Amino acid sequence: MDKASHLSIILDLSPTQWHLFAQPSPTNAHPLSLSSFLSQLFAFLNAHIACKDENTLTVYGAFPGKSILLYSSVNITASSSETEAPADANTYRPFKILDSTIATSISQQLDELSEMNEEAPVSLVSALTKSLCYINRNSNSSSESLSKTKTKLEELGVEAEAMLDPRVLIISVSPDQSAAYISMMNSIFSAQKLKVTIDVCKLYGPDSVFLQQAAHLTGGSYIYLERPDALLQYLTMSFLPPPSLRTLISVPTQDKIDFRAACFCHKQIVDIGFVCSVCLSIFCKPVPVCSTCRTKFPMKTLQRLNAMKPPTLPSNNLSNTANTPSPAASPAPSHRRTPSMTGTGTAGANSLPRSSTIGRGATTGTNGSAPPRNGDGV
Amino acid sequence: MRRRRKGIYSRVKDKTMPGLQTSEPGPSTESTSHALLGFLQSQSQNTLTRLYQRPSSCLSVFRLLGPLERQLVMNLLWMDSAIPASMMSAWITREGRKPYEGSLSILSKLHILPNPTAKLALNLTFKTSLRHAITGGGTSGSFGVPADRDSKHPSPSIEALDTYALERWETILHYMVSSGSGRYPNRPSQGVLLLLQRSGLMTSVQGSALQITSSGFQFLLHPPHAQLWELLLQYLHMAEERQMDLVEVLSFLFMLSTMELGRDYSVEHLSQTQTAMLEDLRDYGIIWQRRASSRRFSPTRLATTLTSSAPPLPTAGGAASNTQGQGFIVLETNYRIYAYTDNPLQIAVLNLFITMKSRFPNLVVGAITRESVKKALANGITADQIISYLTTHAHPQMRKNKPLLPVTVQDQVRLWELEKNRVKSQEGYLYTAFASQADYEYVLNYAKQLDVVLWESAAKRCFFGSIEGHANIRGFIERRTAGNV
Repeated sequence: MDKASHLSIILDLSPTQWHLFAQPSPTNAHPLSLSSFLSQLFAFLNAHIACKDENTLTVYGAFPGKSILLYSSVNITASSSETEAPADANTYRPFKILDSTIATSISQQLDELSEMNEEAPVSLVSALTKSLCYINRNSNSSSESLSKTKTKLEELGVEAEAMLDPRVLIISVSPDQSAAYISMMNSIFSAQKLKVTIDVCKLYGPDSVFLQQAAHLTGGSYIYLERPDALLQYLTMSFLPPPSLRTLISVPTQDKIDFRAACFCHKQIVDIGFVCSVCLSIFCKPVPVCSTCRTKFPMKTLQRLNAMKPPTLPSNNLSNTANTPSPAASPAPSHRRTPSMTGTGTAGANSLPRSSTIGRGATTGTNGSAPPRNGDGV
Repeated sequence: MRRRRKGIYSRVKDKTMPGLQTSEPGPSTESTSHALLGFLQSQSQNTLTRLYQRPSSCLSVFRLLGPLERQLVMNLLWMDSAIPASMMSAWITREGRKPYEGSLSILSKLHILPNPTAKLALNLTFKTSLRHAITGGGTSGSFGVPADRDSKHPSPSIEALDTYALERWETILHYMVSSGSGRYPNRPSQGVLLLLQRSGLMTSVQGSALQITSSGFQFLLHPPHAQLWELLLQYLHMAEERQMDLVEVLSFLFMLSTMELGRDYSVEHLSQTQTAMLEDLRDYGIIWQRRASSRRFSPTRLATTLTSSAPPLPTAGGAASNTQGQGFIVLETNYRIYAYTDNPLQIAVLNLFITMKSRFPNLVVGAITRESVKKALANGITADQIISYLTTHAHPQMRKNKPLLPVTVQDQVRLWELEKNRVKSQEGYLYTAFASQADYEYVLNYAKQLDVVLWESAAKRCFFGSIEGHANIRGFIERRTAGNV
């Protein structure tokens, strides 16, 4: 039970959001500056390393338009650290190297950002994908006992089976980017396959639909910090226990999850979507030809669905509950020959969907079983 | 004439075999708590509080704790005030109840959590020091003061340190294993010999050379990490007797465990006790010094892995690829063993329980035989230890097998151990050469009334009586002979 665990941290480092977060305003009762956030984060990272000598850590920074590996405990060699951090009798050296490496690379990356780049969306998914690739590479190399990587790692004195029990912690301050829906969902499914737990700590901004789903689907916990000034305590109590320990210590999980999806055509989060019965692509309005699998839908179905559609449909109307129609509504054998666009809608914008349970269940089912295809053909 | 012969009568106990365990023990049956924790728990609160004053000691003690204890300490670390016990237990799931209670009691025995029943708060000294350890800062200098760079004598490379540590450590083990054979390779220093003797791993019979004991044989089959701690614990016990300050000794060991491999540290800030320890630790291969009077020292891998579970000896075989973790033993179902090693220590340890057949530059071929296992059993090694040694050091090719070791061999080794317990000896007398059948039955009847007959054979007209009944039977026979004559 007392095994080493791996932690990948993904830091959302959007300069705009952190600037807003640091400003006290009526909507932002507990401002938190980046520097005080980092000092609390370092204490948390040190605590993770302190728990066990073999615990490994990687830190990825998600900057506007790019994602960078800020720190990796495996790649730190004695020669590279020698020059960077002068020895100090009062600090445990691995902690010092960790803190100084992350701090310097963050400030370096932020300085490099040009004015124009600052407005680009934060590449959170890219950082998540990179960390999953990292975990995958390391867990593969440990299972192949005779591979070259392992002998090399062992020569360096690194425990080769260090990647047991991996998990990812995303610390987010930016709102969702609906454009990243497909890639986000695909990374969630990869994480599920790799048995990687994704934890999410949301510091600022509105609740993130996609990250809620990521935590829910991988068995992690999603926490929206109400008191960012108590960040360290939140981090320690909720995100420090490795998954193996979570059978003994309960960590908070979210009580309600927003299961809404983003449409493949306009990349907007939709309350009511239309699902292609063949490839399960999601669209915000009925389309004659599925952009992903090129299936043609009969004219009649389109007319019927258009008629069912609520007259005015603001795409982000929150009064409508998530209700993505089920692909199961059309019988399976007929898929090939008579493709049909299925959909259930609500009559009025303010009334609840009649079959809300079906709608919810269907969306979860979609998420759980069939990964969305790459819908970039639009 | 009747002859009486004194002899040993052996009886085969008709014991049914207990169900053999075919499940193999895990490669490293990790004990639930570290060996040192027990020692720390037996120390007084005063000692522990003084120990906790140093951040490096706190960090090391923290690392020795179990996962649940560590999480509890972390939860409380940043709290400024005590929290009610009920609040903490609300975080514990139903399955976690029992481990949680156990963790609380361990923490309170270590005086980390002084009063776990009402309000939970960490020991103030411990809390301050661990916070210092994690955030850095403070002026304790407990993580070792690095020596200034010396251009004349560059610090040794990591490989050199590893070789040094390995050589020192194997000298000790090799000395132990070869003590029975009468060959003495390299004698470790006097301090090491004393430690081995005091720990009961070796013993000297009437001033003769040291001989390995049965616990010493068992010690040889332990993983290196456990061996190291076993010796260090003994060292701690001896430190108490030598009037050394236990806190100084412990905190020096903990300081070593947080030091960085391949770096020089200055001896100037060490206390007198700790300077005295340098010599002992040099003998064990835990630290390296250029000269005994050198002003600097470097910890070896044995030191820096004290509080982790990483292999403390990087290369146990001569070849760099043959690591301790890798394993080198191939065991076949026909009891043959192929050990890919040229390390004299490993060969010597194997020799404890296998019969060597042939030796090649990098390979030793042998077999597990009844005689070899019985020899090992006679030395006090148990079947489980043999099996767990083979499991830990199994060649990667063996790891594909399920179960790892052939079941036949495992069972047979256990059966041989049971065999040892099958024969029970009882001292007694054999009564034979009775003149007539009536005579024989008469004496036998008498003996049966006394309930001292162990074995009888009417055809051979003899029986075996236990030693307690001999005086009576002898008297009875003598009286009868006298009466007859």
